[in-house]
Amino acid sequence: MLLHVVNRSPANSRVYEQALSAMGPDDVLLLIEDGVQGALPQLVRYYAKIEGRLFALREDLEARGLLGRCAESVQVVDVDGFVTLTEEAERTVSWY
Amino acid sequence: MRYAILLMGAPYSHQASHSALRFARALVARGHRLEAVFFYHDGVHNAARLAAPPQDEPHLVDAWADLSREHEVALQVCIAAALRRGLLDEREAARHGKDGISVAEPFELTGLGQLIDLGTRCDRLVTFGP
Amino acid sequence: MHEHDDPHRDLLVILRHAPHGSSWLKEGLDAALVAAAFGQSVSLLFMGEGVTALMPGQGPGPLEQKGTAATLAMLEMYDIETLLVDAETLSALGLSADELMLDVTPVPAAAISEALSAHRLVLTF
Repeated sequence: MLLHVVNRSPANSRVYEQALSAMGPDDVLLLIEDGVQGALPQLVRYYAKIEGRLFALREDLEARGLLGRCAESVQVVDVDGFVTLTEEAERTVSWY
Repeated sequence: MRYAILLMGAPYSHQASHSALRFARALVARGHRLEAVFFYHDGVHNAARLAAPPQDEPHLVDAWADLSREHEVALQVCIAAALRRGLLDEREAARHGKDGISVAEPFELTGLGQLIDLGTRCDRLVTFGP
Repeated sequence: MHEHDDPHRDLLVILRHAPHGSSWLKEGLDAALVAAAFGQSVSLLFMGEGVTALMPGQGPGPLEQKGTAATLAMLEMYDIETLLVDAETLSALGLSADELMLDVTPVPAAAISEALSAHRLVLTF
């Protein structure tokens, strides 16, 4: 299992497509920084293909006033959870 | 586990430096060993000795230096990326006939080979881009 | 046999930026060359804009910057021979693999995740 990290919003950037095309069936994806916008109900459809394997970073949601506005399918983790994901994944690949 | 961080975003331009620092602190707090942070691309500006942010903003250069001292984390800056962008230590300043030193301590200028070495030696390498 | 199926390769460098517009491509290639010089097995994957790094007939930049075509021409000398190109990008740009300046292997989306799994370290530029 690999962890993919995306820091761009799908509203503004097609980097999410690169990440998705590189994901294997067990890989998971974490949204950080501006990427957390992808957790909003209107934008999460871009990640429909990986439903259940999508995470968003709590601190970055909170800083942007977006915590509590996430789609239910998105798992919110704090920075400790981010570290845990990197422990569990064999490798981390960043898309920016 | 042994970790390394690759940081490629310039401080105060992108969140990458803040994200990397927050991640670095969290992983040492969880008992992991952070071997080094490698600064590449515009990330080399994190080593700017003359950075003078307003007092009510985090001082990222000092924050890296503190992390390095507290947890023995090497701060390795790609020398080729740094020289191009005007970041020189004492030795490089002398070599290029420049009268100032722009790399803060304990950042060290080093080759890209160090990044490859970190990728080999460490269990995890996590990249923060701009 | 596809080389990217080999699970023991060292480094995959993903190149996603065009020549001249930024230093990403050059700096990504530099990382690949250094790893290869250290004796590591290195593969390159060109995605998105990065595919245009492979256009034949590239020239210098506005201030005679060298660009990256000369570096690409040296890859073989460094034994970097696994050159993968995202097939989807290729067709999105209206290009075919045989037009490009190097001998590359177009890979469908499904094979990209395999390439990532086959390398101990993946760096994205």
